Amino acid sequence: MENGAIMHLAVSPLPGTSEPSPGAEPDFSLLARFVQRAEAAGLDMVIFADSAPASGSDAATMPFEATTLVAALATVTSRIGLVAAASTVAHQPYNLARRFASLDIISHGRAGWNATMAQAPREAANFSRSEGFSGDDFRRRSEEYIGIVQGLWQGWDEDALKFDKSSGRFHDPEKMHLLDHKGEFFSVRGPLNVARSPQDRPVLVLSGLSAADMDIAARTADVVLLDSEPIESAKARNDDLKRRVAACGRDADAVKVLVNVSPVIDDKMAVTADRLEDMFRGKGCDGFNMLMPAELSALDDFVGLVLPALRRRGLFRESYRRTNLRSHLGIAGGGDR
Amino acid sequence: MTAASRQMKLGAFLWATGHHIAAWRHPKAYVTAGIDIDHYIQLARTAEAAKFDMVFCEDAAGLREANVAIASQTSRSIGFEPISLLSALAVQTSRIGLVSTASTSYNEPYGLARTFLSLDHLSGGRAGWNLVTSASPIEAANFGSTGLRPHADRYERAREFAEVVTGLWRGNPDGAPGHDGQSFSVRDPLDLPRSPQGAPVLVQAGASDVGRDLAARTADVVFTAAQTFEEAKAFYDDLKGRLAAYGREPDDIKIMPGVAPVVAETAAQAQEKYEELQELIPDDVGVALLSSYLSIADLWRYPIDGPLPELPPSEGMQSRQALVIEQSRRDNLSIRQLARHFAGARGHWRIVGTAAEIADELQARFEGGAADGFNVMPSFFPGELDAFATLVVPELQRRGLFRKDYEGRTLRDHLGLKRPM
Repeated sequence: MENGAIMHLAVSPLPGTSEPSPGAEPDFSLLARFVQRAEAAGLDMVIFADSAPASGSDAATMPFEATTLVAALATVTSRIGLVAAASTVAHQPYNLARRFASLDIISHGRAGWNATMAQAPREAANFSRSEGFSGDDFRRRSEEYIGIVQGLWQGWDEDALKFDKSSGRFHDPEKMHLLDHKGEFFSVRGPLNVARSPQDRPVLVLSGLSAADMDIAARTADVVLLDSEPIESAKARNDDLKRRVAACGRDADAVKVLVNVSPVIDDKMAVTADRLEDMFRGKGCDGFNMLMPAELSALDDFVGLVLPALRRRGLFRESYRRTNLRSHLGIAGGGDR
Repeated sequence: MTAASRQMKLGAFLWATGHHIAAWRHPKAYVTAGIDIDHYIQLARTAEAAKFDMVFCEDAAGLREANVAIASQTSRSIGFEPISLLSALAVQTSRIGLVSTASTSYNEPYGLARTFLSLDHLSGGRAGWNLVTSASPIEAANFGSTGLRPHADRYERAREFAEVVTGLWRGNPDGAPGHDGQSFSVRDPLDLPRSPQGAPVLVQAGASDVGRDLAARTADVVFTAAQTFEEAKAFYDDLKGRLAAYGREPDDIKIMPGVAPVVAETAAQAQEKYEELQELIPDDVGVALLSSYLSIADLWRYPIDGPLPELPPSEGMQSRQALVIEQSRRDNLSIRQLARHFAGARGHWRIVGTAAEIADELQARFEGGAADGFNVMPSFFPGELDAFATLVVPELQRRGLFRKDYEGRTLRDHLGLKRPM
């Protein structure tokens, strides 16, 4: 492998495209099989969208809210990362931080939060904010929100829980920290009432980024999802982001750039493998987020035909080395306070 | 259902290491409950094998206790967030109902309706929402608020919240619900299919006058606290009596008081088990817990062996406060005695005895028109849930008071509730 670099692979089952099930009821078992197969293939993570409002179109959506779906999937898988989208408009930051901290414990350190910097056009109107937010306000609010959530995730030190029955000391009060955040949009005292994450803190996956959001991504993200571009411009974009990451005092490799790819059905799978290899070796990204219908056949094509080619070329690992999502992604935790 | 075949409803109230404040210190308590999903899966399966109607989870969006020295001596500062917890349990169980508390104070109705409907789909129609309003200043500080809403305000918000949620669950043939009210506005219908049970079950726990009216208007199940038969009966009759005003039948609502049993093979063993737990309560923890129920911060200033001081009316939990004060005056208890007594059962009804004795007590309230069932609050997990499942449930089944198997698939089926239009 060149420089020991390893490609990271995520898969995003697209809403509204799941195979029709025999009954009219939403089918959890189909999604469970989909994720189990992705796990058997050794993919880093599955990312679930959460399209909240009916957008006026008649497009069906994923029949489950994403965080509840991920909680259920966590109990039928053991290695693969599970990332749920959740909106900063739909949840208060304290509640969202709690939900994901809990998902991370349920999954033994495999949870991630997909936050988007793009405002969904109709969403605010369903959350008692018919006026929505201006673009600037939404950006500042999102960054403040993310900071609160990540801060809350670190309110308990790793070794805060003592469980000492005889002394009567359940936790060490010195190792529990208030957040005491007072900002432009929120004030949150903390701490969270959920224990520290088994992987230090849940993984933050940022998407919907415009050029103006890149510094926020550099400061906060673990993974960014970007749309595909020609190799040259992808490389320039990747280099630029990594420079910004380093400028924040973070290791440039602390943020993984994954490019969204829709496998073209008519393509020979070998062509897909070539495209991924070229982009990866050309330093356009750290890996890919494969957008595909939530159908086993779509996943099987990728796993059966593209993955073996990538492995033969030494681009993708043979199997999971450890069990938590940060270790799959090769990113360290946030560290203790 | 005829009177002869009427059977009681049972909830298994899962909470941290147990409902007893010192539960986690018990040698047989599972101390890492708050970070172990497999433990909860096992508890839910135990309750399902015993044919409980539901598991029930409480919730608070913040710590339970502001004083860190006190909080660090209890197991209640950390645990699972209940909606994610129940979503995990949904696919690890197949019949039992899954009910979680969520506050109307710090959520929006569209998001809450959508999340519970998703849980309902994951479980095949077994979800329920326990509506509460938040009274804790600790929670308020996590949501940008500096003061509490006055009690009536909280309930007006809750009333509008419940109306929007039930409207979203039931859908609207014309499309958008288009709610634009005092506290909330919602433009679109939910983007998920209709609930497998028509709508998730709505549970409510507030027992104040406005709380009862809200329950009479909207709730399917009411969870309550009642120490004595008379209190339980008075609450039961009052609430059932309010239903007609909303065009509802008495049987449209199931009233399930909390009960904190300590059961063993013999009465002496049960008493011993209870005393063993009581001994584990540190005085400062007991007093702190009591003062939080009374919504006064400085109870520790009063002599611990003296009586409860006179208290001003509070904006917090009015009905529970009245219960505590009444109990202390009636039994002439000191602060220490009252603290220990309440620390064990949190103001709920405590029964210590054999399976037959506990079944007698439950039967008397059930047949005496003071309860439709009970929310069972085991002292510690898993031991005391196991004990109730293996000792008390078979006794209730022998008496024909509780089902031997599930007849339906959904939580509404179990509870004998109408499917909403």
